[in-house]
Amino acid sequence: MKAFLRSILFFLVVLSVSTGFAADEVTVEQPQATASALDGEVQTLKQDVLDLNKELFILEEELLFPSNTQVAIFISMDVGEFFNLDSVQIKLNDKMVANYLYTPREVKALHRGGTHRIYMGNLPAGEHELIAFFTGTGPNERDFKRGTEMIVKKDIGPKMVELKISDRKTKHQADFVVKEW
Amino acid sequence: MNYSHRLFANVLLALLLLAVSTALPAASPMIGRTADDFALKGMDGANHRLSELRGQVVMVNFWATWCGPCREEMPPMNALYQRYKSLGFTVLGVNIDDAQAGAEKMAKKLGVSYPILFDTDKKVSKQYKVSGMPTTVIIDRNGKVRHVHFGYKKGYMDNYQKEVRSLLAERG
Repeated sequence: MKAFLRSILFFLVVLSVSTGFAADEVTVEQPQATASALDGEVQTLKQDVLDLNKELFILEEELLFPSNTQVAIFISMDVGEFFNLDSVQIKLNDKMVANYLYTPREVKALHRGGTHRIYMGNLPAGEHELIAFFTGTGPNERDFKRGTEMIVKKDIGPKMVELKISDRKTKHQADFVVKEW
Repeated sequence: MNYSHRLFANVLLALLLLAVSTALPAASPMIGRTADDFALKGMDGANHRLSELRGQVVMVNFWATWCGPCREEMPPMNALYQRYKSLGFTVLGVNIDDAQAGAEKMAKKLGVSYPILFDTDKKVSKQYKVSGMPTTVIIDRNGKVRHVHFGYKKGYMDNYQKEVRSLLAERG
């Protein structure tokens, strides 16, 4: 019985070794062809993932912020010589919806004409109160806080509001101009 | 081996496995994920945003003035910062005290030169689920959390150094 089992085991070992060698022979013959085919597949997969990611992002924006209730608020600066921006807070209908700290790099980007989307959300049609507070340093490095208030009339369709910090050279102070797109 | 002996052996094995699994520290769920972005006011008066440091290895250290181990680790952490900052390494010391004045005083007393940021409303520490002091999060050049450490004991800084060196050696 023991001898029979030993012979079975020996046979299995020989079989596995021989198939191993055979497999090695097969892989040695076609490594380059499979590698280039795999490279192509990987590149295709990467492109598919990027396209899918882009579609998901667009879908997410459309689902979360559908255009008929969408409201977006932007911050921009015009020269900004007399007001060094530190932070902006936005309240909509007495609820704080945005509180953003600006780094020196971001302020520089605003000075160069950049626009920052500080808030995007949903509002039903009708009138809504928007209050914005700006904090920074004014002339002579003094701390400065200024607020502006407006009523946003939301219709069907997206609403975009730009809050521009603009220099008023005649008064040597920053002025906050509200513009609806 | 009879049934009762086998049962006893199995129960003993189960208890041993349970003891080992609870003794091992659980890996933080943040590891491998992109670090949550934040911006905080610094001791230098400027605002600092984490995402602007992409490309550098960043060590975010949450600390408080009432925390003894925090005070112990800050000088060697400062030495680590000074040693590797020219290679693209920085430390952000996020203080969670209610008042900034005490934190500023302590940071100056300890001779800390890396940026100290103030999280007085605890927003960032909640974002990072900080449950104890100190908590140290090490972020790689691509903005991914690679290591999270809770507490501080002698010898931890050697480990931090190894981790930072390893991340600095990685290509972005």
